Amino acid sequence: MTSADQLREEVRAWLAAEWTGLAPAPDRWSTTPERIAWLEKVVAAGYAVPTWPVEWFGRAWPAELADVIAAEFESAGAPGARQDKYSIPANTVLAFGTEKLKHDLLRDVLTERSRTCLFYSEPGAGSDLAAVRTTAVRDGDRWIVNGQKVWTSGAKTADYALLIARTDWDVPKHKGLSYFVVPMHQPGVDIRPLVQITGESHFNEVFLTDVEILADYLVGDEGKGWRVLQTALAYERSIMGDGARASRHGSIADDLVALARERGRLADPVIRDNLATVLALRELNALNNARAKAAAEQGTSSSVMSLGKLAMSGILHAEARLRTDIAGPETLLAGDANPVADDVNFLALNAFFTSIGGGTDQIQRTIIAERVLGLPKEPEIDRDLPFRAVRRS
Amino acid sequence: MAISAAETEQLREAVRDLLADRCTETDVRRVMATDSGYDPELWKQLADLGLPGLLIATEHGGVGLGAEELEAVSEEIGAALVPSPFLSSSVLTATLIDAAGSEEDKRRLLPGLADGSSIGTVAVTGPAGSWTPEGVAVQANGTLTGTASYVTFGQLADVILVVARTDDGFGVFEVAPAAPGFLRTAAEVFDPTVRLSQFTFADTPARRVGTAGWEAVQKALDLSTVALAGEQAGGARKIFEKTVEYLNTRVQFGRAIGSFQAMKHLAADRLLDVESATSAARHAAADGGPGAIALAGFACAEAYETVALSAIQMHGGIGFTWEHPAHLYLRRARSGAQLFGNSRLHRERYLVSKGA
Repeated sequence: MTSADQLREEVRAWLAAEWTGLAPAPDRWSTTPERIAWLEKVVAAGYAVPTWPVEWFGRAWPAELADVIAAEFESAGAPGARQDKYSIPANTVLAFGTEKLKHDLLRDVLTERSRTCLFYSEPGAGSDLAAVRTTAVRDGDRWIVNGQKVWTSGAKTADYALLIARTDWDVPKHKGLSYFVVPMHQPGVDIRPLVQITGESHFNEVFLTDVEILADYLVGDEGKGWRVLQTALAYERSIMGDGARASRHGSIADDLVALARERGRLADPVIRDNLATVLALRELNALNNARAKAAAEQGTSSSVMSLGKLAMSGILHAEARLRTDIAGPETLLAGDANPVADDVNFLALNAFFTSIGGGTDQIQRTIIAERVLGLPKEPEIDRDLPFRAVRRS
Repeated sequence: MAISAAETEQLREAVRDLLADRCTETDVRRVMATDSGYDPELWKQLADLGLPGLLIATEHGGVGLGAEELEAVSEEIGAALVPSPFLSSSVLTATLIDAAGSEEDKRRLLPGLADGSSIGTVAVTGPAGSWTPEGVAVQANGTLTGTASYVTFGQLADVILVVARTDDGFGVFEVAPAAPGFLRTAAEVFDPTVRLSQFTFADTPARRVGTAGWEAVQKALDLSTVALAGEQAGGARKIFEKTVEYLNTRVQFGRAIGSFQAMKHLAADRLLDVESATSAARHAAADGGPGAIALAGFACAEAYETVALSAIQMHGGIGFTWEHPAHLYLRRARSGAQLFGNSRLHRERYLVSKGA
């Protein structure tokens, strides 16, 4: 067994020999040949998924050792390590996929030779994800899919999608779902960009017409898709801590104190009061996260861990209000000629990214109350009805 | 002296166990009704655990622990609403003597404070209640003249320190309890678990303690703010726990009221307040810098008040009665939010620490 100190030396030496930096990809949904080549090396060295079994590119190491690798990669600024903690598709396929699917997908996902996207949300199934109506019907050794998905990041560059679809309409909604991997490059997959309130287009809606899936690409058993999805969502939540994004122009609007000083508003008592509130919210969230991390390292659970996303929503909206107050009438303007106003307005609208995305603040509060505080479950009037009989919007 | 996290936890548990036994809500209400506002028996038991001497050096009869242990103990004191001069005597007074006093002052005054046999207080602010240099309303000119307000547990104290203006700034003075021209009047207080007095001085003889000025006072106020923040985090957590318990047991419309989203969402937001206050208080104790203390100074006070207000709302009618303890927490939250400097003061210091 390798000790942490030995491993640290090993990884450090390996990075010193191999890592020379990478030009950034055009966007977070795309990759470059250089990046793929680098990730191939990481996988071959056993650093991509160190906790995984040896036959699947891992070293079967405990998480503490794997964290040593992640720390060394992080301090070197090198990507690709510790995907066993963070990669939603890789972990989901390893945990639930067939041998064929693992062979077809895992290596290419770890090296980003294949990109993936998520076919989860639908116009009628956002926070209530068990209400999906996209349907998969078995036809011999294939499944045929029809329906519509939405909020799909990276659909245009993805090679595969992780799909939750309904395979049985005559059982209660959580029981009639199955989880699949869908090859994107086939007829019947129609991707249309969705323009957000910020004017950006990171998401797509995807229309699926008679799309085919190999039976081997069913992930987990038929009708057990909800359980697979919950596992996949747990991975997603663990990586969705920090919802903050910098502004588009990188203007002074990112730094509230600097913005207030530049606009001559730093002495305004109302601005000062709000500034203290907002800076404190950020610092308190960081302190909470540090405390949660310390508790996790000691092996004790902490209710703080579940609060980060809700806190971040409040922070982003509070910052947006203050920023707008400081910039004032300039926020009537937009465009590259008005970079500060443009950033202020963008950040105000983009705050919804965290307070709606990944489960709305309201759903988060319900989850915290039920799972952390142990308050009684919300009654679900459609939980036991056949899905066919469930009321729909 | 520093002790391990496990030892701090043992100390915290010892205090919690004692208070669970000896400082129940019934005890708090009994002591609230007394003239002195504290329980000499409980004070002695706290002294047996070493609490009054927690911060006092071992050579002066104390335990010699630091801010982190103080914060841990304060969470328990706040949770149990202990009516006692701990903060006033064992933190504010002891720290000020340590910061300002000569060796002789320390040898003479600290052992009594450490074993709880004497009780100290510090008169800092005048009627402005600002706990800033500007707020001091006692003038030292050979003798003391002027007024000090909001003096914590002033009626009980036999070690009496007074912050006064001098020709060259500020000084700390010791006044004998029976000194001529010294009058102390108990104030009628909103929070009966924290007693306050007004001190007046008319040509009152006093002895200067050391040569330190305002910086020693600020040091004592800072450590008191850490302790108070710990009390606030502990109090907020306790009344929140009581509230969550109530949400699980109170049935209306055929359901436990905790099953209603309106209650769940309030509760989730308040959990964030409680946890943030805990983080802020512990960080202030560990860090000790002006920014961390200022952050705890307003974040913990505001969180406690918000949590206590919500607790009453979530309890509904029963929460609005004198017999329910929720208002005791709100009273303590409101008194803590003014003592040793209010939110506005701490917010301003916080901004300055952030370069704003």
